Amino acid sequence: MLAIALALLSPCLLAAQRPQPPASQVSPLQRAFDLERRGTYAEAASAYRAVLRADSADQTALLGLERSLAAIDRTATMLPEVRTALAAKPSPVLYALALRVWSAAGEPDSVRATVERWAGTEADRVVPYREWGDLLLQRRDLSGAKRAYLAGRTASGEPATLSAELAQVAQLQGDYATSAAEWLLAQRLSPGYRSTAIGALTQTPDPQRPAVLRVLAPESGGEGAFIAAVLLAQWGDPLKGAEYLRRSLATPGEGARQGTASIAAFVEQVRALGTRDARRALGEALELLAERQGGAAVARTRLEAARAYADAGAPADAHRMLALIGQDRNASGDLASQAVRTLLEVQIAGGELPEAERTLAEQGDRIPPEDRANLRRRLAVAWMRKGELDRAAAHIDADSTVDGAALAGRLSLLRGDLRGARSYFQQAGPYAGSRTESTDRTALLALIQPIEADSLPALGAAMQALERGDTLSAIAGLDRAAEGLDPKAGGAQLGLFAAQLSGARGDAADAEKRFKVVAATEVPATAPAAELDLARLLLRLNRPREAMAQLEHLILTYPRSALVPQARRLMDEARGAIPST
Amino acid sequence: MKRRDFLGAMAIGAASARVGRVRWPRSADYFLIPMDEAQAEHLKAYGVTFRLLERGGRGEWLLNYRSGAFLLPADAGTQRDAALAGVTVEPISAGQADQIRAEIAGTNADAVPLEKAPKVAVYVTPGAAPWDDAVTMALQYAGIKFEKLWDAEVIADKLPTYDWLHLHHEDFTGQYSKFYMNYAGAPWLREMVEVNGVTARRLGFANVPAAKKAVAERIRGFVERGGFLFAMCTATETLDLALAAHETDIAASYADNTPMDPGASARLDWNHAFAFTGAQLEASPTVPQFSDIDGHQVNSLGRRQPLGSFTLFEFSAKIDPVNTMLIQNHRQVIPDFYGLTTSFNKNRIKPGATVLADEPGAPWAKYLHGELGQGTYTFFGGHDPEDPQHAIGDAPTDLSLHPHSPGYRLILNNVLFPAAKKKELKT
Repeated sequence: MLAIALALLSPCLLAAQRPQPPASQVSPLQRAFDLERRGTYAEAASAYRAVLRADSADQTALLGLERSLAAIDRTATMLPEVRTALAAKPSPVLYALALRVWSAAGEPDSVRATVERWAGTEADRVVPYREWGDLLLQRRDLSGAKRAYLAGRTASGEPATLSAELAQVAQLQGDYATSAAEWLLAQRLSPGYRSTAIGALTQTPDPQRPAVLRVLAPESGGEGAFIAAVLLAQWGDPLKGAEYLRRSLATPGEGARQGTASIAAFVEQVRALGTRDARRALGEALELLAERQGGAAVARTRLEAARAYADAGAPADAHRMLALIGQDRNASGDLASQAVRTLLEVQIAGGELPEAERTLAEQGDRIPPEDRANLRRRLAVAWMRKGELDRAAAHIDADSTVDGAALAGRLSLLRGDLRGARSYFQQAGPYAGSRTESTDRTALLALIQPIEADSLPALGAAMQALERGDTLSAIAGLDRAAEGLDPKAGGAQLGLFAAQLSGARGDAADAEKRFKVVAATEVPATAPAAELDLARLLLRLNRPREAMAQLEHLILTYPRSALVPQARRLMDEARGAIPST
Repeated sequence: MKRRDFLGAMAIGAASARVGRVRWPRSADYFLIPMDEAQAEHLKAYGVTFRLLERGGRGEWLLNYRSGAFLLPADAGTQRDAALAGVTVEPISAGQADQIRAEIAGTNADAVPLEKAPKVAVYVTPGAAPWDDAVTMALQYAGIKFEKLWDAEVIADKLPTYDWLHLHHEDFTGQYSKFYMNYAGAPWLREMVEVNGVTARRLGFANVPAAKKAVAERIRGFVERGGFLFAMCTATETLDLALAAHETDIAASYADNTPMDPGASARLDWNHAFAFTGAQLEASPTVPQFSDIDGHQVNSLGRRQPLGSFTLFEFSAKIDPVNTMLIQNHRQVIPDFYGLTTSFNKNRIKPGATVLADEPGAPWAKYLHGELGQGTYTFFGGHDPEDPQHAIGDAPTDLSLHPHSPGYRLILNNVLFPAAKKKELKT
């Protein structure tokens, strides 16, 4: 251990033994640097002042003195040194320093005088005003900064001067409309401000958005229309945004000049949004983009546009895009295959099931077998939702995958064949489909597991209603199915499911009544779950005391239930003891 | 486990399984709340004990027995409360309790009677989220009632109505935690500056540093007259700096329009402070550190020290019950966590203060306790024991994910220790 310590120490010892330059050989400036580096700022300031006594305009020493004094909050004490240096050898660096020092000393008149004196010597008269405004901005003097920048604009005689700076000040003052006007001016100086302008204006609070849009005047096209297009996409009206994008492209100006880049920027904004309108706006923007492209890129973009239209529930537009891909000689075989797949997706999503079957029969061999099987299963689900169970079965009869088994289980359940459903669900296991599908399947298995009968057509009918999205009929069907069952043999389970469906469709009063009935059965598998769901419902209804009482009852009555930790967590959340999830 | 105990536990388990409800054997006279590894909810166990005292009940804190177990009468209220909170409870007979007491008598352990729930106050800025403060989080999670107060209440002399006061990351030097320069323009900082400024003016002070000094004086008076003070993070260091600077300007110009007195460090009056002495102030207004009291200097990149672990000291339970209460834990070595003030350099700690925990080999302590007048103070460095590198805007800590947190246990030891009946020290 000692040896290791010595080994580590030895370089330090050697360094210590190296001859050091005598103190007299260290330059005064070097000494000042060393003191500053060590954090002894008061001593460093004295050392820098010693250097300045020999050369009053030594800029390195002056800046070092400023740093050291700033570290101990005493910048204002270097006024004499700054005055002397400016008198001896004025330069932009010294003028900027003088501004900072007079500002720290709280002498605004001296600051203004220095700016004017400096501007008189500069070829670019704006620089001193920008320094002045920036300084005031750092000190959070927003109105002072605005005055400084406007003075710079007047001095320059150019109405767009310092517009980016003024846009930022206006934003900090909460005046987004003025900020938008300044950003439009800034575009004239440099198109590079576009993304900064969009980023800044995106933060406009709701009440000020109409005023910002008025300033941007998107109806008249141009750059204002483009900025408005992107902002509207961000603010939840992407369709209006797409309309402004078209106007921006149609009007001569930066938007039209940048053409493809402008559309790409809009596409990037809407691509990240998941709403139906955003998908439609994306489709429209991609369509515009494809019109400006050439070669294989056109088909690729149209394919993406078709998918976006399909997601947006606009099958006609999706078909239009896919038809154009079909006529495109530049489209590769792979792209054509993707187009067939997209067409099938559009047809299935749009409920055009016979047409989808025909497409599958005629062009199915153009898509890979795995994709084909997947599309067949989607087609089967779509038929199930229409209640056409035999047509659904036709698509999965030959499917021996776990996904096929999962679907066969669902189909069996819709037919009321509980034995078949149990068997298929067990075959499918936990890996078929997505995580959500797997969880749903487990829940269905738990629902039918306690029911002793092999067949229960009433339950099948209820599940078919649910598959069609008819929750009210599903609840009534579950009630009918539960009528003949003992609570412990599945009756309570079906009652709980009906209560959950009732809650999900927003009928709180009915759900509450149903949860209470199931909770009162004291069936260990379902009563705690009903109590937990009831407590959640009561919390949603802003009845925390009743919810807490329900949770307490659950914990004290079923202390060994697996739901007790969840009940405790809900209690903690309800009383504000932990953050809500 | 003794065979008889094992059979007893088996019988309880069988009965519970059969009936399906929380039932204890009729012979139970006490509930032993173990605080060792057998406990399922260490933090909520303090709440169960606290609420028993609130209901007028009495209990015992078994120092150094099963990591600081509690012995409570086997009443229905406690049974229900523990079951709801998920706190592990072992029902025992009076005979078993006597055996435990006999074991305690022969070891470095003691049984301290718990008599009265202290009235708890938390000093917190109005509108602050509960998740900003580890103590508020711990109290809320454990279900211990507390009231919030701030400058107006302290200046209006409301402190004497409480037994226990907690301070968290308040900056008593009035410099907004020295975030003023680095977070300029941030909405939360603007709000902090606004709220503090308006309050100081309304209370008749020229500026925020002056108001905070007056608040620090009132807190000192509260402890002198017998109050219990618990401070964490920046409150520890800045409270002492504000007290020591009662005649000196230690605030940067942005806070009171005048720069810090250049000779401030030499002019500080440490006789007036709680725990620290001889500290050198940080003169730069842009460095978010206050002095060299803090060993870790987390916000000063060149000086920041890495986190290690701190170790709780051992004390004689029978001779030194107060310090023993404060270190009751199921872990002796606890991972360290940063705060604006993370630790306390030992060369800045007054000789009269007791170090309760430190990092072996490091020059700093983590956890201190001392007396002032008729009261006591405890200082605990760091911000959040379960969020070691907490940053502004981080997701709040969810204590249900840390029910065994040894760091949070130390906080709750402090809440319960004023409930203990004072005993004559054995000398």
